[in-house]
Amino acid sequence: MRCPLCEKEFDPAESKAMPFCSDRCKTIDLGRWLDEGYSMPQDADPDSDAANDWPFSLS
Amino acid sequence: MAIEPNKTYSEGDLEHLSDLEHVRERPSMYIGDTTVRGLHHLVYEVVDNSIDEAMAGFASDVTVIINPDDSITVEDNGRGIPVERHTQLSEQMDREVSTLEGVMTVLKFGGKFTKGAYQTSGGLHGVGVTVVNFLSEWAEVEVFRDGAVHHQEYERGVPKGPIRRVGKSDKQGTKTTFKADPQIFQVTKYSYSTLVKRLQELAFLNRGVRITITDGRNNESETFQYEDGIREFVVHLNRASEQVHPEVLYVSGEQDGVELEVALQYSGEYTENVHTYVNNINTHEGGTHLSGFRAALTRTLNNYGKKENLFKDLAPTGEDFREGLTAVISCRVPHPQFEGQTKTKLGNGEVEGIVNTLFGEYLQKHLEENPKTAKAILRKGLVAAEARESARKARQLIRERKGALGGGSLPGKLRDCSSKEVDKCELYLVEGDSAGGPAEGGRRREFQAILPLRGKIINAYKSREDKVLANEEIRSMIAAIGAGIGAEQDVGKRRYGRVVIMTDADVDGSHIRTLLLTFFYRQMYDLVARGHVYVAQPPLFRVRRGKSPARYVQTEEEMRSELLSLGLGESVLEAEGGVSVEGEAMAKLVHTLAAMEDSLLQLERRGVSLKIHAERQDPTSGKLPVYHVFFGMEENWFISRQEVDEYIRQTEERVGDELVVEFGVAAIGPQDIEDARNGEASGAADAAAKKRLRVIELHEVRTINTLIGDLSQMGFEIDSLIPQERTGEETSRYVIRRGENESGIDDLRGLPAAIRAAGERGLQIIRFKGLGEMNAEELRDTTLDPAARTLLRVTMDDAAAADELFRILMGDQVEPRREFIQKHALDVKNLDV
Repeated sequence: MRCPLCEKEFDPAESKAMPFCSDRCKTIDLGRWLDEGYSMPQDADPDSDAANDWPFSLS
Repeated sequence: MAIEPNKTYSEGDLEHLSDLEHVRERPSMYIGDTTVRGLHHLVYEVVDNSIDEAMAGFASDVTVIINPDDSITVEDNGRGIPVERHTQLSEQMDREVSTLEGVMTVLKFGGKFTKGAYQTSGGLHGVGVTVVNFLSEWAEVEVFRDGAVHHQEYERGVPKGPIRRVGKSDKQGTKTTFKADPQIFQVTKYSYSTLVKRLQELAFLNRGVRITITDGRNNESETFQYEDGIREFVVHLNRASEQVHPEVLYVSGEQDGVELEVALQYSGEYTENVHTYVNNINTHEGGTHLSGFRAALTRTLNNYGKKENLFKDLAPTGEDFREGLTAVISCRVPHPQFEGQTKTKLGNGEVEGIVNTLFGEYLQKHLEENPKTAKAILRKGLVAAEARESARKARQLIRERKGALGGGSLPGKLRDCSSKEVDKCELYLVEGDSAGGPAEGGRRREFQAILPLRGKIINAYKSREDKVLANEEIRSMIAAIGAGIGAEQDVGKRRYGRVVIMTDADVDGSHIRTLLLTFFYRQMYDLVARGHVYVAQPPLFRVRRGKSPARYVQTEEEMRSELLSLGLGESVLEAEGGVSVEGEAMAKLVHTLAAMEDSLLQLERRGVSLKIHAERQDPTSGKLPVYHVFFGMEENWFISRQEVDEYIRQTEERVGDELVVEFGVAAIGPQDIEDARNGEASGAADAAAKKRLRVIELHEVRTINTLIGDLSQMGFEIDSLIPQERTGEETSRYVIRRGENESGIDDLRGLPAAIRAAGERGLQIIRFKGLGEMNAEELRDTTLDPAARTLLRVTMDDAAAADELFRILMGDQVEPRREFIQKHALDVKNLDV
């Protein structure tokens, strides 16, 4: 399994901080959430516009 | 000739005896203690003498043997301790005394105090081998010097006779054997591994010296020799760890008689692993050399980070820069002063400045010349700083929650439910404030709670607006759910049996959902693992015919296929030449064309028009090419991988060399094809580029090929999909007839749309742009009411997939994001989790 933070491979059976490899990585991750450091792009992928076209009959 | 104590009694002997008595009565003053630690110390004292001889350039080999009778033999191939009469000593003692006897029986006697004999030396401040002799039940020394062997024996520090020449030898060196006195020591059994550890350390610290240890009790043996000295020590210390940068940094220098060597390398660990030595003594308590090193490290890395503008929100501290640091500092100081509890802290003030300057200058230069290493080290420090800050924030959050009203107060925005039966209770996390109202109106107050959440827009990167979950929203969620966070988390304390994520059915909504799922997966893992997290399925469409009750349709696919069925009805297609299609055949034709819609759009989005691509159709198989191959200025199209492989083989034959073949998936948009072209053209001058062949695959053409095959069986070829020049023609190319109605289309690609338009007739269809467009009643009937709603339970796999998607979409790295989108190019819906 790959740690979402440090991206190292680790054995899930050995970790007490799932899905992270360590408490440290989990804590850093929490810090990033609290810091508003995680974001998703606003600009959607090009396909999404097509999905929003309505009515379909014109497409 | 034996010495008879009574006859030779003199003033000198009196002093000498009192030294011996003093050492034997207070051994701890000389060797620290009389436990197993002190016992091993005896060996180190003797070895140190041999190492000194080696460092002075006179010996290359040191051998240590643990004998089966618990005695120790240390041998070197140095010059051998002088065996001639020592004038000063002989006069003092008023008898014939050799240098060797002085070394073995007189405290503070020896080369270490003779200016110039050894520049610097290790050992316990020169008490050395004399103390070892005094604390031994018996000892003997053999000196190989000037072609002869000289020998003297001692018992509890007293010579058993004068030094004797016992034979010829062509060897050189000193061989000392001693047996620790059980009257002094609590234990007299040596530990092989303890000795190995120290001897290996000495081998690292004194490069080139070959040290062999043999355990005579079981004939175990090891030899250590390191030409690269402490550089190899650092490699050895980091052997089980990941490296942050490939090279070991190393500097050596000399100033004001102080010699300095520093080697370091960062590892992926989180602890500091710094070993400091002064004259081979491990200075466990640090001292001025360590503080000079630390000051230079912090200052230099900080300056570099500032200069390169690497610190944004927070700057690492000195401690942050020592995370994962493996270093060995070895100094040789002529007159070391040791302080501290165990006398292992260097006190010489002048050393601090020397280390600071020498190491600081070197590090600055190395960072400037190796920017990759510099960045890697700085990044490591930044992560450490972030970890420290994160831990502080997490502690603060937990403290705050405990402080307020004991057990944490509920967020103001929460519309809680009245029931306290946890398993029955549900928390709806509702995207957008506007949806909060209808959700509150449509909920079952008894057991459904509503927490409105809003994505916050930030300017994440240069030209990109991003959406984040605001700090306040995260705190609200944690507080409402009630299970805590971080180390204090306890799913048993949750306030709801179900946490339901309800977001808009658009791309923004799916992004908020991905953020929430990722947060739950990462920070409330157990909540997901135990199946408490759900995703609501609000409808996308409301459909009503006349006055009949409204129906709700959840997805676009369902809506499309419903309209298609409604529109098909009795429709008939008439083509030129009296061909007409109806009934089953008509349904099949329309569905085949509808299945092709997305793939054709995608092909065109790449900048490949169907009209042009159709010209590349294979006349026999009727298939369109899937692979676009670029080589130099050549471009070729192929239908199958076999054809591509054959082309590569032929090209290699033609060029007379193996080619570098790159496989890529075409991007959405024509950019990739342009890239491939330009890459080849601009690189044409480059000889290496001439051997590169790029293959781009158009996935969607596979789908198109299958469906073209189906169409062909129905009697329609690819031409039917392409508009024709019809100037002057009076009639439409194709006519759709539906009862009285009749409409014309130019090519069959327009057929599904026309059929759907027919199906839409008489319907009122509303597409909800967001949850906020639904009223309380609609929301209740579709999404909140347990009897009518569909809830999807989030599995661990779902959450992990959200996490992966999140990592790709949030990243600043364009490549993985692009790759991901390309991988899923055929199935655009995968972008919605």
